[in-house]
Amino acid sequence: MREPSFVERHLRVLFPLPAILFIALLMIFPILYTLALSFTSWNLTSGAPLRFVGLRNFEQVLTEPRFLDAVLRTFGFTIFAVLIEAVLGTAIALILNRAFIGKGLAKLLLLLPLVATPVAVGIVFNLFYDPTIGLANYVLSTFGLPQGLWVSDATSVIPSLIIVDVWQWTPMITLIVLAGLAGLSEEPFEAARVDGATQWQVLRHVTIPMVMPTILTAVILRLIDALKTFDIIFAMTGGGPGYASETLNIMGFKYSFEYFRMGQASVILIALFFFVLLCSLGIMKLRSSAEN
Amino acid sequence: MRKKKILQEAVFYLAVVLISMVVLFPFLWMLSSSLKTQTDIIAWPPTFVFTPTLQNYHKVFGEQDFLKYFINSTVVGGLAVGLSLVLGLPAAYSISRFTQKKLALFILLARLMPGISFLMPWYIIFSRLGLMDTYIALVLSHMLIALPIVVWIMSSYFDSIPVELEESAMVDGATRQYAFWAIILPMSGPGIITSVTLSFIFSWNNFMFSQVLSMEKTRTLPIAVYNFVSYAEVDWGGVMAAAVAIMAPAIILTMVFQKFVVKGLTMGAVKG
Amino acid sequence: MKKMLASTVVLMSSLGLSTGAWAQGKEIRVLLANHPYGELLKTAIPEFEKQSGIKVNFESLQEGQLTTKLTTEFATKSSSVDVFMTRPLQEGKMFNKNGWYEPLKSYDFSDYPKPVMSVAAAGSTPYLVPLVTEWQVLYYRKDLLQAAGLAVPKTLVELEGAAKKLNTDGVAGFASRGKGAAAVTQLSSYIYGYGGLYLDKGVAVFDQPAAIDALRYYGKILGNYGPKGVTSMSWENIMPLFQAGKVAMWTDASVFYGQIVDPAKTQIPAANVGIADLPAGPKAQSPFLVTSWGIAVANQSKNKEAALKFLDWASSKELATKGMLASITMARSSVWKDPKVLEAVNPGLVATSIFAAKNGNAFDRPYMSAVGEARDQIGELIIESINTKGESANLAAMAKDKAARVNALLKDAGEYGQP
Repeated sequence: MREPSFVERHLRVLFPLPAILFIALLMIFPILYTLALSFTSWNLTSGAPLRFVGLRNFEQVLTEPRFLDAVLRTFGFTIFAVLIEAVLGTAIALILNRAFIGKGLAKLLLLLPLVATPVAVGIVFNLFYDPTIGLANYVLSTFGLPQGLWVSDATSVIPSLIIVDVWQWTPMITLIVLAGLAGLSEEPFEAARVDGATQWQVLRHVTIPMVMPTILTAVILRLIDALKTFDIIFAMTGGGPGYASETLNIMGFKYSFEYFRMGQASVILIALFFFVLLCSLGIMKLRSSAEN
Repeated sequence: MRKKKILQEAVFYLAVVLISMVVLFPFLWMLSSSLKTQTDIIAWPPTFVFTPTLQNYHKVFGEQDFLKYFINSTVVGGLAVGLSLVLGLPAAYSISRFTQKKLALFILLARLMPGISFLMPWYIIFSRLGLMDTYIALVLSHMLIALPIVVWIMSSYFDSIPVELEESAMVDGATRQYAFWAIILPMSGPGIITSVTLSFIFSWNNFMFSQVLSMEKTRTLPIAVYNFVSYAEVDWGGVMAAAVAIMAPAIILTMVFQKFVVKGLTMGAVKG
Repeated sequence: MKKMLASTVVLMSSLGLSTGAWAQGKEIRVLLANHPYGELLKTAIPEFEKQSGIKVNFESLQEGQLTTKLTTEFATKSSSVDVFMTRPLQEGKMFNKNGWYEPLKSYDFSDYPKPVMSVAAAGSTPYLVPLVTEWQVLYYRKDLLQAAGLAVPKTLVELEGAAKKLNTDGVAGFASRGKGAAAVTQLSSYIYGYGGLYLDKGVAVFDQPAAIDALRYYGKILGNYGPKGVTSMSWENIMPLFQAGKVAMWTDASVFYGQIVDPAKTQIPAANVGIADLPAGPKAQSPFLVTSWGIAVANQSKNKEAALKFLDWASSKELATKGMLASITMARSSVWKDPKVLEAVNPGLVATSIFAAKNGNAFDRPYMSAVGEARDQIGELIIESINTKGESANLAAMAKDKAARVNALLKDAGEYGQP
């Protein structure tokens, strides 16, 4: 056998090196830059030179009611949306988990919301929600129910946005759980049937516990994405009315690209980053514990 | 007993139809609205029967320069995915063959972290470099979407290829990089299709990066659709036609590569 | 950090990716707005290129993106812009303070009315040329008012009475912007009518009784008689409602007149659309009359001679006349006296313009650098007032808090207490 060349000996470093450098340059460096900016007074509109201000930005932003509201709103939106998606998604997967005519078509349909452009989805739902000409109010009125203001009112805007998120992302949970169910081994089911368990008992004591790890991973993936929800909120309400649907992501966007307060914006971005990081660490922990 | 069985089946199929309707309805409403005149759209009660018209599509593609945005989106997505394959395939191979778990997590981080926390610095840096509104800035940012998808999908795809294949080639005197190039890559078609389809769709749908980094020259479709609403007076028919136009390619891709897309979307979770 | 950045710059530019050297010699870069006048300039530019021999590279952007692009390019000192359209009230103060406008020492400003010039010059030397003006008016449905036996409202009290009478299930009695920050400009004339202001000599005064009364009135009339969901409506949501016949009266800027009488866009006959002066408040009748767009030369431009030539041409009387004929309300006073123009322009538009020129206020928003943020703050008050139909018990306390925040912004920018 011939002597391995330099490239071959260092393949494990050389092969991933370009990707590592790319991510370091485009992600790690910017995050450090944001961190550095958060200690400065930089504001594009003032024209004043950049000054080190210590923790002043943190003090100002973290005590700002608008920020605290945004934090609560971000978590409220995320938790409710993902909870509904998890329950609905799992239920639908359990229903569809059998052979039936048109199963291929049904699975294709489930894929469509996942690949639909979120901005466009938001706009379509805005047409539904329009208080004057929207279909949503028409449906309510035909059932004799009072009409709603949907995204135009501070009290109903978050639930209305949750509906959109649920429509778009429930199928993802369904598909993941379906894939998980398909991979289960037959033995425990047969054993339960031999023991004379009812359908309900099998579901509760065999099926659900067995797909639980899959459901959990899907849920955590969704949690991370839901925390970062931007497109539909930006397109549908821009954070309004007032600040009623302003999540951390939207607030950070506004501080950066509308107010140009780069120093304070950095604090908001770091906060969001921190929350997402916490959830991500959660997912990694779960993964490694599942593997062991 | 038989009766009960039939009833059960009926309930089951009813549920399937109901679920499908809920999923499908917004698409149908979008499509039908795109074929309505403004008068039909703002009519109350909403019209379900109407004479379809293509005028909204004429407007979108004739007056609005949508073709240009369409090309921009395709170029940005295509380059970002292509370059991500160049960077991502060797990285994924290395992760798979040398079980570099930490490295995998490092790259996955790019998928998990909120885009806006790099976007603001990019915006400043790209402005200083005079790169705003260029393909360079957009492609680089979209690569951060595509690269983690490529690495993630391909590393587990390589896991499924038996290591003996390249080992026997190496025994015959081939270098490892040659074995990767000549033996492993040609076998990776399905994995590459999955990662290309998914990362292209995610790049195609991306709004936030393009909203900040693109302007007139490089504007991509999602921004064009959004702008259509925000400053033309609300011309719902035109907007819906634009929405159909932007979703159609992603949906067609999905239909063609359905199996791959499902696999790509679900495998991360199922594997864990 | 700086060093790292610098090395990135070197790296990037050594790769030949920099696009720094744009305009050399007789070539200029111009940023235009997606505005009818910007469109008009766009079509006329080839003519300018032919007669001057200067090559013009232009881009047109939506107004918000234009501000963002100019701000970042200037603030990061990476700009190659020579001439740009600019919104004096939105960005003028900040751009001028940062020295981003080139002073226009030799331009002849004699054709521009005084109020219009107040936002084009700080102290003595003007730094932008006003292009387009707009003022607030009342649009109304002649047929609906007639059917209800109502005269055109002359005061805010009459306006409220008429709104109440005209409000039915299918038609909102009255509309005006309710979407927070976007509504701030429209509320301004109501505040002036009640004798209040947003800022007085660089201090926020919109928490004082006059402004609070105006806020309550605005909230009451929109909360009771406005269209559903008005707190998320700006002009782009209200105009289609008016065009569809779902609004009886609407106060907004004069620029929309052309579109609401355009038979291709509206379902109500032009003969049924009326335009009138904004009704009088208890203290005054003072609609805003603002310079919505101007044009300026960038201070860092390396082609100032060519840039000034373009500026002269783009703000010339000939193009202003063309603008008027395309129903763009121009800032030059002479074009309003041109008989050819007067024949083509709607008399109602002329009459309201004369009234606004005489009694108007040159500001429709707080005139400060951090205007975007200040508008968001005031916008919250507007939404609170509309949601409570003007009855909010918190309004005064909220206004006090918001005024303190706006004062803090003024202090941050060093503009507090400055006239």
